[in-house]
This record gives sequence, C-alpha cells and structure tokens, in this order.
Amino acid sequence: MQYDDPKFWRAGAISTTVVMAIALGMLTVDSLEAITPGGSHVPPYSVINRHIGYAYNGRLGRDMPVIGADEPLFGKPVTETEAAAFMERGKLVIQSRSCINCHTFMGNGAYYAPDLTKAWLDPAWDTWMAITGADTKEEAMVRFLMAPEQYATWLRKMPNLGISRDEAVATVAYLKWLSSIDTNGFPIHFGRPQTSR
Amino acid sequence: MSRSKNLAVKYLVAAILFFGVMTLSGLMSAAYYIQPDFLFGLIPFSIAKMLHIDTMIIWLLMGFMGAVYWFLPDEFEIEPAGIWAAEILFWVFVSAVLVVAATFVLVQWGPSTETTLWLVQQGRKYVEAPRWAAIGVALVMLVFAWNVVGTALRARRITGIMAVMSVNMVPLVLLYLIAFPKIDNMAVDLYWWWWLVHLWVEATWEILIGCIMALAVMKLLGTSRKIVEGWLYVEVSMVLGTGILGLGHHYFWIGTPDYWLGIGGFFSALEPLPLLGMVVHAVYDAGVHRMKTTNRPAFYWTLAEAFGNFLGGGVFGFMITLPQLNLFAHGTQWTVSHGHFAFWGAYACGVLSVCYIAMQEQRRLAVVNGRGWVWAFVLLNGGLIGMVGSLLVAGMAQTFFERAIGGSTLEAFIAGQENPWFVLGMYSRMFFGLIFTAGYLTLAWNLLALGHREAAAVAQPAPAE
Amino acid sequence: MTPGVLLVTSVSLGFMVLAAGAYALLYGIGRFRNSRSLLVSAGFAYGALVLDAAGLILATPLALEWKLLIAGSAVAYLGIPPLTWRYLQHTHREEGAHP
Repeated sequence: MQYDDPKFWRAGAISTTVVMAIALGMLTVDSLEAITPGGSHVPPYSVINRHIGYAYNGRLGRDMPVIGADEPLFGKPVTETEAAAFMERGKLVIQSRSCINCHTFMGNGAYYAPDLTKAWLDPAWDTWMAITGADTKEEAMVRFLMAPEQYATWLRKMPNLGISRDEAVATVAYLKWLSSIDTNGFPIHFGRPQTSR
Repeated sequence: MSRSKNLAVKYLVAAILFFGVMTLSGLMSAAYYIQPDFLFGLIPFSIAKMLHIDTMIIWLLMGFMGAVYWFLPDEFEIEPAGIWAAEILFWVFVSAVLVVAATFVLVQWGPSTETTLWLVQQGRKYVEAPRWAAIGVALVMLVFAWNVVGTALRARRITGIMAVMSVNMVPLVLLYLIAFPKIDNMAVDLYWWWWLVHLWVEATWEILIGCIMALAVMKLLGTSRKIVEGWLYVEVSMVLGTGILGLGHHYFWIGTPDYWLGIGGFFSALEPLPLLGMVVHAVYDAGVHRMKTTNRPAFYWTLAEAFGNFLGGGVFGFMITLPQLNLFAHGTQWTVSHGHFAFWGAYACGVLSVCYIAMQEQRRLAVVNGRGWVWAFVLLNGGLIGMVGSLLVAGMAQTFFERAIGGSTLEAFIAGQENPWFVLGMYSRMFFGLIFTAGYLTLAWNLLALGHREAAAVAQPAPAE
Repeated sequence: MTPGVLLVTSVSLGFMVLAAGAYALLYGIGRFRNSRSLLVSAGFAYGALVLDAAGLILATPLALEWKLLIAGSAVAYLGIPPLTWRYLQHTHREEGAHP
C-alpha cells in the first residue's frame, strides 16, 4: 500500500516543509514592514518627544498605545537622528547588563523582576520621584537606574550595574519608546485593576 | 572502538557534567525566590539564571552531538570524515564554555560598548555568550555538519535517517547566526531571535532528536530500518507542518500584526497531534517487546521521552497557547512550568537514553539493569514533575492576581509574587528541585560506575545487532 | 473573560489533551492485551475528552473559530490512536519486524 512506503511520507515531509517555509517567508516580509520604526505597529523613535498613554480602544476591542501632545524627555526635544542614537545606546545598555535575565520585555525574558513593556507608564514612579527627590518621572528613573540599591522598595533588590548618567538617560528613552509599541493589547488593562473575579 | 565513538563518549560525559552545572545554578536561581538576599552582591539572580539556561542548551547540544558521533560509524560503516577536527574542537568547545561561565560569574557585565558584546556577554536570552565564544560554537557546529555530510559523501551512500539529519543541519547551523547581531529595535530583535529559539527547539531539534531516537530504537529493539524511516518522515511532516507556522505563538505580543494571533494560535493548537502519535508509537514498541530489553534504563528513558514530550509540550503547552489566554499567562511562572516540562520530556530523556545505549556497548554489557538507574529515573522524573506542578500553581496564581486582576503594574507584580499560593509554589519547587538534584547525583554515579565491576569480572561480548 | 473563567478555560484545554493521552495509552495497551475492559476504559477517557470539549464550546467566552478548532481537534484525537496503530501493525507485519 502506498502509505507503507517511506517514499510516500518523504514526499509529504518535503512538500509540507516547503509550503510552510514559503508561507513563513511571506509573512516575515509583511511583519518586518509593520515592526520597522514608522510601520503600522511601531512608532518612529522620535515618539519619545510626545506624551504616551495606553487606553482601551472600543473599535479594536483591546488596549492600544495613545500618542499625545508634545512632551519631550527632560524638556529637550530630539531629532530623529538623536532619538536613534538614544535607542542604539539604550539597547547596548540593556544587552551589556543582561536586563532580560531578570526582567521581561513584551513578556520575553526572566520573571524575577517586573515586565518593562509599559514601565514608562507605571504609576509607581510617583513614589520614586518622592524617594529620589526628582522633579520629573524621567529624572526619577535615571536616578534609580544609577543607584537601584539605594532606592529599593521591596525585599527583592536590583543590583548596582554601574550604569552612568548617559547610559541611564538612553535607557529611559528606550523604555519610553518601548511603551509606544502596539503589542496587540499586552499587558491587558495595564494600570486598571479589575474588581470582579 | 572507533574514534567517533570515543569522541561520542567524551561528549556524553561532558553533557552529564554540564547537566550538573545546570542543576546547581537552577538551585541557586530557585533560592533567590525564597531568600532575595541569597548571594546578592556576589552573584545576582541574572547570572545564576544565565548559567542555568545556557548550560541547559549546552548539555543538550553536547548530548545530541555525542549521540550522533556514537551512531555515525554504525550508519556509514566507516570512520566519519573530519573526525580529527571534531576531536580538537571538542576541547575547544568545552574550554570555551568554561571560560564563558567564568566570565559570567567573575566579570558579569561591562559598559555599553561593542567590546562588551565581544568579550563579556551579549545579553540576549540563551545566547548571552560573548561573540568570540559564539564564533567558536558556530565553528563546532559547522564541523559537526561536515562530519555528517562529509561521511555520506565519502561513503558514497546515505541512509534515509542520515539524509534527514544532513538536510536538517542546514537550518540548524544557519539559524545560529541569529546569535550574533545587535538589533536596536526590540520588536525586530525578538522577531529574529524567536526564529533561532523556536525553529531550534520546536523544529530542527525535534527533527534531530527524532533521528537520534530512530537510531536508538533500531539498536534497542531491533526495529527494521524501513519502519523507523517511514515513521521519521511522518514525524517530520507533522512536526514541521505544525511547528513552522506554530512559531507564530511567539508573535502575539511583540509588536507584530494581529494576524499572528490567528495563525500562531491555530498551528500551535495542532502541535500536540504529532506528539500523541508518538505516544501511540511508544506504547506499540513497548507492547511488541513485552517490555523486554537488554537495556532497561535506555528503554525506559525512551518511553519517558515520548510521554514527557507529550505532557510537557502538548498538555502544558495547550493550556496557555490560545492567544486570549496567553494574553494573561505570557511571561509568568506558567511559562516556566511548560518550558521545564517540555525541555525535559522532548530532549533530556532522549539524551539520557543514548547515554545508557552507549554505555552498554562501551562496557560490553550483555544486560543493563540494577537498582541504581531505577532510583535515578524515579527521583529525576518525580522531582521534575513536582517542580513543574509547583511552578504551575505559582504561575496560575501570578496570572490570576498580577495580570487578570492586578493590572500588571509593579504593584500588581509584587502582589502576585507575595500571594500565598505563589510563595507556596516557590518553596515546593525548591523541595522538588532538591529531589531532582538527588536524582542527578544518582544518575551520574550510575552512569559512571555501572558495569565496571561486571566488566572487570567477566568480559561479555557486545550485544548482537 | 473574568479571571476565574480564564483559569478554568486553561485547565480545561490542558485536560482535553491529557484525556487524549489517556485514551491513546489505554487504547494501545487494550489492543495488545485484547482486553475489552481496557478498551472500554479508553472509551471512557475519550468520553471525558468529549465532555471537556463540549464544556469549552458551550460554556466559555472563546470566539467561534476557536470553538470550531476545539471541535475539530476532538475529532482528530479520536482518529489518531487507531490510525497510527493500523499503520504500525501493517508496517511491522510486512517487515516481519522484530526478532
């Protein structure tokens, strides 16, 4: 019978793999376009000059980032090139300190420390503004990153990773941009605790 | 014994030793959840965790390589091509892993420069190794591929199993190149990174372990080549048919378009189907032989492979794969429970089976049995299931309290981590982790010591083909 | 989806695949031993799968396409053990496979 013959299944294996690989290739081309800065799901890096929020979108039926009025980091607007330089530096910080081995980014990483996808929007920074004596959220974040062990608020502490001010500023810029990515609603109802079980 | 088989034994020994490092660093990581000051200031959680996940990849990779080097001379009936290069690279590989581990522990991090990525660490999960070491790993894998393909060319013939393995080498090696770039855009970085991770562990590694298990079953049960080859092709069709687009279940939340929710969810939901087929096959093989074999541990670890793969990958994966559920469970200890179970079932059990097969032939034992392997089997599997169950409880608590109710802020995260069910899960995981560790020590002793007394007393002929 | 429904739905999905595994295991051993009681148990395991799938389809807020996927999977799980068994028996018989 045909299905006893390994060659039958070999043909099946080859054709299945080829078809699926082609489908993946085509979807990759489309997806890469969407996730390039300026694409449908990922704002350009200069979005760090704007206010970023996160709200429920009734039409789409899920949460969506909301890009608002001008709100430059540290009060200083940056050009697209300067913003890209922040991203390059910020990502180098994230990799050189292996942040992803305690934290998660869009849910990917380690689960010992909080997810950083919407860290820019976390209400807890109000507390750190008070503790660090900073006037703005971004200044509080910078001071925290430079000396996290001094501003611990919980039993689990973040170690001092020798992050310089320049590095901290770039990282904060990176986190602000990260919070503007349309992640199809993850994390769900961020900052809006639910009452019903 | 052939040079390739001698090399295989070296790789399998190294694999078992790095399995030990993985276990130790796992205990360290688990300790942090219970005692946050554990080694804070000396070896932070991130370093313990890096050691744990990286040595997991390394020990399994070395196990696969050991298995292949073991079976290659039997498959081709000649000494594999380029074995001299593989022998040298074994020591390069092991040394590189040790240097990288020492760098992780003693240097830990560097400034935000390319130099840090080249010399200290690259900070991308599973592929943190600095670029100089990544080059070494790529070289090892290229030579490994040459050892397989070159031998087929030299022998001027190829078996179906080796043909599948050879073709599989191409994506296996090429995908590793994704370990090298530094990509500023996190969405693009994760897009390609998941090609490496998913298309390794849910595609090319599945094919590789399928080939290895085919060779193991031929040796262990005397099954005919035509049967295992036919089955291997069925497996390849189903695993790649579901797994290539099943990659989409990692593309739900990283900024990619929402068509991935449907595509990834659908194909991912189909992934348990081939695994169920493997369970049926395992039951058939066990029954046909009435559970009789000259190498009981190898046989039982093969059964554990089929069932563990199904339970860890299939059952535990299906719980969290639909996007509307994954939205809540993504990046929690629920993920950890699935990951531990799936890796153990799909890969670790298979490698351990091959260790016993190689050991039987190497020590010329007519029969491999005893109580040692049984203790190791029970403690390791019991410990693993206990850990995974504990992580499931913790993960469900975290999903419920941090994500579903809490709103995923820092405050919600802390509330989840401090929830009594979560804390219970962490203590329970540690307890079962210690049982697992006891199992590991028993296994290592058993593999080391088994047969030496018997081999010394009576020289037995190698088991008949 | 409420938090409680979320947990129940996830566990139910896992249970469905677990029941499929139990069905496959009992079916296999039952076929080997020609044991009616084991084959009946296999039937009960599959029955548990069907009940679980029915619960997922009728009582969870999953969208229609996912419910269709669950229904389709339930049918596929029914067929996999006997089809695989037949394939294995046929190939082994042909080969005179095992010594």
